[in-house]
Amino acid sequence: MPRYRIQYSKRGPASYISHLDLVRTLERAFRRAGLPIAYSEGFNPHPRFSFAAPLPVGVEGLAEVLDVEMQDSVNHQDLAERLNGALPPGLAVLEVTDVSDNTLAPMAEFNAAGYIVHLDEDDLPGPLPSRAVQDFLTEEQIEVTRKGKDGREKIRDIRPGILKLDVLSQVSGLTMQLELKTGSIMNVRPEDVVEAFFRHAGMVVDKADLQTIRTGLF
Amino acid sequence: MEKQLEKIIRRVQKPGRYSGGEWNTVCKDWQNTYVKMAFAFPDVYEVGMSHLGLQILYGIVNGREDALLERVFAPWPDMEQQMRNTGLPLFSLESRRPLRDFDIIGFTLQYELSFSNILNMLDLAGIPLRSADRTGGDYPLIVAGGPCAFNPEPMAEFIDVFAIGEGEELLNDLLDAYLASRRSSEVRQDLLIRLAGIDGIYVPALYRVEYNNLGKINIVTPVCEGVPAQVQKRLVADVDAAFFPTRMVVPAIEAVHDRAMLEVQRGCTRGCRFCQAGIIYRPVREKEPEILLRHAGELLGSTGWGEISLTSLSTSDYSRVIPLVGELIRRYGSLGVNVSLPSLRVDAFSVDLAKEVQKVRRSSLTFAPEAGTQRLRDVINKGVTEDNLMAAVDAAFSAGWHSIKLYFMIGLPTETDEDLHGIANLARKVLDRGRKLVRSKGRLKVTVSVSSFVPKSHTAFQWEPQNSIAELKRKQALLRELLRGRGLVFKWHDPEGSFLEAVLSRGDRRLAGAIEAAWRNGARFDGWSEFFDISKWLMAFTSTGIDPDWYAYHRYHYDDTLPWDHISTGVSKKFLMREHLCSLEGATTPDCRSGRCQGCGLCTSLEVKRYLAGGETVASLSNTVQ
Ligand code: SF4
Repeated sequence: MPRYRIQYSKRGPASYISHLDLVRTLERAFRRAGLPIAYSEGFNPHPRFSFAAPLPVGVEGLAEVLDVEMQDSVNHQDLAERLNGALPPGLAVLEVTDVSDNTLAPMAEFNAAGYIVHLDEDDLPGPLPSRAVQDFLTEEQIEVTRKGKDGREKIRDIRPGILKLDVLSQVSGLTMQLELKTGSIMNVRPEDVVEAFFRHAGMVVDKADLQTIRTGLF
Repeated sequence: MEKQLEKIIRRVQKPGRYSGGEWNTVCKDWQNTYVKMAFAFPDVYEVGMSHLGLQILYGIVNGREDALLERVFAPWPDMEQQMRNTGLPLFSLESRRPLRDFDIIGFTLQYELSFSNILNMLDLAGIPLRSADRTGGDYPLIVAGGPCAFNPEPMAEFIDVFAIGEGEELLNDLLDAYLASRRSSEVRQDLLIRLAGIDGIYVPALYRVEYNNLGKINIVTPVCEGVPAQVQKRLVADVDAAFFPTRMVVPAIEAVHDRAMLEVQRGCTRGCRFCQAGIIYRPVREKEPEILLRHAGELLGSTGWGEISLTSLSTSDYSRVIPLVGELIRRYGSLGVNVSLPSLRVDAFSVDLAKEVQKVRRSSLTFAPEAGTQRLRDVINKGVTEDNLMAAVDAAFSAGWHSIKLYFMIGLPTETDEDLHGIANLARKVLDRGRKLVRSKGRLKVTVSVSSFVPKSHTAFQWEPQNSIAELKRKQALLRELLRGRGLVFKWHDPEGSFLEAVLSRGDRRLAGAIEAAWRNGARFDGWSEFFDISKWLMAFTSTGIDPDWYAYHRYHYDDTLPWDHISTGVSKKFLMREHLCSLEGATTPDCRSGRCQGCGLCTSLEVKRYLAGGETVASLSNTVQ
């Protein structure tokens, strides 16, 4: 059955839709649009969607990727238009392309992502030291702790997952740009990086204050 | 507010509960709409979004040119904490405006254990709790409807206006009157008197309650002209012509019942004597299959839901259920749409229906015999025999189900330990059938789930006392003993919650202080076992001088004035007395659905008729199949 790659954005109220709920939301949108998708076999058929690394709840995505298998072939523009007419506010299709048989699934193909992280002035613990970025990036190891699924704390080194870290602006708050590994092999969360960055500079930020946008996957 | 909201929403679980923006929401122009109403559901989003009444009223009000309706749900405790820390007032999902800015706030009273949430929502909205304290400022009018409005008295001090009965027509009348009142610049008191003139509207502040020296109610009288001595419930005579929402709001996070709801009929006249819904939603009014099919098509098309549920109090009683289910499957099955049937009757016919709609037997089938012996089932008028149940489970096991759930009530009037042994015996018999019929024996499971009887207003058992908490616990312990063994699972609820439910459902106006004190003690989400704490309520009763035991445990006499006697369901008190007397003799009363009228008084007093799809000539399935 024909497969299509859909590039879409997930913003505003839609950024609060969790990954599981997003599957349901999209499934319903395809139905409303009258675009029959293919389902898996078995007792509990689920739609044949294939996503890139899920967006954390509350993070906006400017160019997310989803592969979908359809029951019939459709014209790209038709698919985009009809689906856009059926998506709730905040979700929008940007582009539709074909997926050939030898294309990797998005989870395997995209292993890095770009982020913009903003902190409001009021939420900044203080001014950044001048060489904060260089100092942080010269570290060979950056350890973060996170609770694992079993509830136990796990320490791991995220330095290899930080591909790029820059301060874009310090006018009215702080805006940073990150490029991080994502996907099944190594997945680094932007809030962990920013927290570690501030900790390294001797400051503490509240992760919940970070306003994060994923700008793209590559 | 927007910025503040964005900040706190990132700090709570499931922010989708508060973010709005779901498919099919209606956001109207605030400035150019005359009446702004909020529908307030006093429970969490996932529960509220499963409620058909919300979808109906949302469609009705937003369908008017001159009015808008936005939604708000009880914030989960983590969100409440954030709101209180930051001073963010309770806001609506659509326009994210403070509730205080609305003209009308309508609460739905689905269960007594949500009362504390109503007070909490008013408080979070910055609105004084008591109606008497709202006369000064330009506060929204606080309206409440739903089943618990049939005994409005415990909430009488907090609510300005109760809407009794079905809301479709009543809400339009209320909005019209509100607009007319505003056009003539009436003060709040005049608005209330005007509203009290509408059929089905009860304005508690316009009634005086007098008590006798035994602490019982002597008389309830209107305090001024034009206010009816007794308020009659409203109902929709022609359900086919009534508005039905085919553009339902599709929740953004998974709701408890996350599916399209197609209401096939209203009312149930099987006459179970403990059941309040069976009285307050009388008579039976079925919808025509053609209309239902049209609604189903529109509903599925506009929402994209992959499941459609045929809702009603007892869907297997709908006389056209077989053709309707068949046609739904024929039209939408190939599109991957499932049909689901809640509330199955206990018989083989219902299992056949379930077989039809559920191709994969993954979940369990649930039946509610309610009592363990024929004697007690006759007392409660549950027209189910052991043969019905065995035929049903035989059919279910043969069709491939291996898990059966049985619902029972304990603490019913006249119950003895013999009836509890009866529950265990029935469960074992069901298990035995399963051993014979189920192939993979290891997966065979019979779950017995017991709830505690709560006497409800307007039922034949409204005069009856509830069993004490200690007695209910003893009965649960006995059942736990009796239901030990492989393949049997026993489930029960803490009786403290049922006790509070009894106090609130049979209560009167004097409870207001206690409800408020319980809320001040921190009572929230009392229907949720993880939050419910009876000690908060017991402290509240003590500090306000209320004896809750009296409310739950005393037996009313037939000549007592009941706290809810001035609210009429249309069913006569004489009929309820007769039903009560019959129950004590174990005499049963048949369903009036298609047979003889049992003289409950409703159809004459409200000038309506029971209505079966296709007219009265259609033989009811309850007669043909059982
Ligand atoms: S009046 Fe008669 S027909 Fe009507 S609901 Fe009552 S018992 Fe049934």
